[in-house]
Amino acid sequence: MTNRSINNVLSRSILTTVIITLLLSSSILHFSDAAASSSMHTNNWAVLVCTSRFWFNYRHMANTLSLYRTVKRLGIPDERIILMLADDMACNARNKYPAQVFNNENHRLNLYGDNVEVDYRGYEVTVENFLRVLTGRHENAVPRSKRLLSDEGSHILLYMTGHGGDEFLKFQDSEELQSHDLADAVKQMKEKRRFKELLIMVDTCQAATLFSQLHSPGVLAIGSSMKGENSYSHHLDSDVGVSVVDRFTFYTLAFFERLNMYDNASLSSLFSSFNPNLLLSTAYYRTDLYQEQVEKVPVTNFFGSVMKTIHTDSAYRAVSGKDRSRVKSDVSSAQSDDVDAQRMTGSDPERQVDHSDIKVVKGGGCPHADLWNAIVEKFQGVKNVDQIVNYGLVGMLTLVAVSTWQSS
Amino acid sequence: MEESVEKTTRKKHPWFWSSALASIILRLVLIIYFPNTLNFSSRPEVSTPVTSLRRLAEGYWLKRSSMSPYAGSMYHGSPLLLSILGPLTIDRDEGQSHLLCGLAFVIADFVTAILIRAIGQRLQGADIQSLKSLGAGRHLKISENFPTGDIASLVYLWNPLTIITCLGYSTSPIENLMIVLSLYGACKRLVPLAAFGWVMASHLSLYPVILIIPLVLLIGSGLDTPPRKLFLQEKHGDGYKKTKTGSLHLINFSWRRVVLFFLWSSAWALYVLVLCGISLKDYSGLGEMFKRTYGFILSVEDLSPNIGVLYFFAEVFDFFRDFFLIVFHINILFMVLPLAIRLHHRPCFLAFVYIAISSILKSYPSVGDSALYLGLLGLFVNALADMQFSFFLFSGYLGTLLLSPVMHNLWIWRGTGNANFYFATAMAYACFQIILVVESVSSMLNHDRALKQGTTDVAKKVCQSLKDEPGLPTPRKFSLPK
Repeated sequence: MTNRSINNVLSRSILTTVIITLLLSSSILHFSDAAASSSMHTNNWAVLVCTSRFWFNYRHMANTLSLYRTVKRLGIPDERIILMLADDMACNARNKYPAQVFNNENHRLNLYGDNVEVDYRGYEVTVENFLRVLTGRHENAVPRSKRLLSDEGSHILLYMTGHGGDEFLKFQDSEELQSHDLADAVKQMKEKRRFKELLIMVDTCQAATLFSQLHSPGVLAIGSSMKGENSYSHHLDSDVGVSVVDRFTFYTLAFFERLNMYDNASLSSLFSSFNPNLLLSTAYYRTDLYQEQVEKVPVTNFFGSVMKTIHTDSAYRAVSGKDRSRVKSDVSSAQSDDVDAQRMTGSDPERQVDHSDIKVVKGGGCPHADLWNAIVEKFQGVKNVDQIVNYGLVGMLTLVAVSTWQSS
Repeated sequence: MEESVEKTTRKKHPWFWSSALASIILRLVLIIYFPNTLNFSSRPEVSTPVTSLRRLAEGYWLKRSSMSPYAGSMYHGSPLLLSILGPLTIDRDEGQSHLLCGLAFVIADFVTAILIRAIGQRLQGADIQSLKSLGAGRHLKISENFPTGDIASLVYLWNPLTIITCLGYSTSPIENLMIVLSLYGACKRLVPLAAFGWVMASHLSLYPVILIIPLVLLIGSGLDTPPRKLFLQEKHGDGYKKTKTGSLHLINFSWRRVVLFFLWSSAWALYVLVLCGISLKDYSGLGEMFKRTYGFILSVEDLSPNIGVLYFFAEVFDFFRDFFLIVFHINILFMVLPLAIRLHHRPCFLAFVYIAISSILKSYPSVGDSALYLGLLGLFVNALADMQFSFFLFSGYLGTLLLSPVMHNLWIWRGTGNANFYFATAMAYACFQIILVVESVSSMLNHDRALKQGTTDVAKKVCQSLKDEPGLPTPRKFSLPK
């Protein structure tokens, strides 16, 4: 009887321990899952969209180009910037300064410098292309430079400027992007894990209405004006003849011109730098979908670039031309922002695999095979080919001379 | 026999060596003092994709950078040339590379001229011998008076085309040297030398392969002779017994030497292939070499302008390109056999005709090829003295060769002409070359018939004197076509 009770106690304790371990493992898995879902911030992308065309919308293009320049200056490379512009200002017939675009009447900065890379220009800036860029659903033939190739570690800056209104944004005077379209696209992006954090910056009239429908977590948005307010241009350049910059972007740039790549001014300082009296509108931002605290997030998380070094101990070997076919190792000391760089195949470069064209006969019973192998190895081990060829040529000439003399 | 001929030539024409030296000095002066003004290497008539020295320098640089010399489809020549001429093309000092290269080509030209002279002397000796045995006295005097060797080699040295080729940094002088070396070896019955020359010439450019037939004939049956029928006819006129017609062609044909020639040429070919294989061991081997050299010549991939009949490939539909390629190359092959049958008794002249035809119809001709056969033309001045249209041909050559650079300039640099201008001169040049070949062949055949006439006169006289004797058949009457 005591045995059975001991057995019962034992079985019960075994059962409880099993259950407890199962629970623990599931919780550990859950935690690790949660840990895995909060991925590392590895790269920054910027999507800069100017939705207007025609000469009198000069300031919208100047806005976008100024932000392009800022973002490049703070470190994001062209391959991670998608720039959508109508691009009809710089070479417009009305432009007194051909191939130059200014955002200030002092003409200090030429925004249309040497290295402006526009990805979608002219009539390619459409709502469809914009949504395709955001969601990543392109035709097969679209080149990589026109795709937003972000992943779950990306922080994306989305800047839009142009003419807008209550819950819409006008594209190139012929289409509209509505706020629920934008919210839908952002939701798709979140589902497909195309961003870790997203900052939407809108500089249009009644800008805050454009992101009113957003629900996805990890999104931060700021607009230049609230519902019912207009956003105004900053000043008129009497030389060019049109207004050259909008107020919201002007003060944003004023904030960024004080910064360089290594500063860690926070997002809250950016948001609080907007003075409604100067903007003549209220710059409204929403942080309810954003988990982090804006006081602690540096602006370079969105406007600059990530410089992360991955330390590795394996040696770097330069591969020469002759050994190209022999060495199979692919050692790379990666420091770029891509996740792909973390794949390192380390192998021992000392091990030389001989890819010879001449088949080496298996040695064994045949003595000739050994001789042939020896000859083949000697043939392949010969380094100084040129010398041998020269000797061969000299030998040929002497042979000719000797044979001629002999037969005459 | 030969020594007396040589002594007479030296006595009567001591100016050969001085003229030869003068032409060498002229070339050296032009190379040293005018290296940049005479830009012959940029002319399409002089340097072709197969012979250009600039491409050889590129191939050599590629080889030194551990890449295959055929990468990038620039160089299409032999890897052995890379080893020989490559180090000369390095720009050590400002102009020294040009000097060394130019010196190499001048030496090649000089050796070619000396060899042509030696061939000419042997040809002349053989000619005099055969004419003496035939008894054609009139022709004998002409043959003795004209030292064809000297004339031919001086024509070769002083031909403006040869000088231009030498200054134009193309590898044609070396190819010409190999061809003439093979002819010389065959004339002197030096079988290894002839085999070596033939193998090297075919290795450097594909077309000297057809020279196998005249070389075999030269080695087998000796130098140019009048047709064998004349010898037999003379014997026939003497009342000698008839020989078997079956062995007409095989009289004095030494098969042993021909077999030796084939053995030696296969030995040289193996040697050359092994050397090329070693030289290209690290890259891709002999297959790529064949594809890039012979395959390039045969498939005519580069259609940049040249002075050949290549133009129609620019107008050919892709679908028919293979057909036109076959027609283009068979053009040369079709002429090989009939000419061999007709001119088998004159193998040296046959070689000249083959060289001329391949210079006209090869895929990348240049003036260097023309220089060679114009030089060899001088070997046969005795027989070709009565050539028709000689002045017309001379002015035609001069005219097209002067107009061709002008048309090229109009087409490419000024833009006031178009491709038709340039290729009109190219086609006219081809026409004149063809007329030259046809006329030289026909005048050589006329010379043979004239010899027949000369010997029939002699035979008639002999027969007349013997006519009294009974039982002798009367000599047949030969009707000479006009």
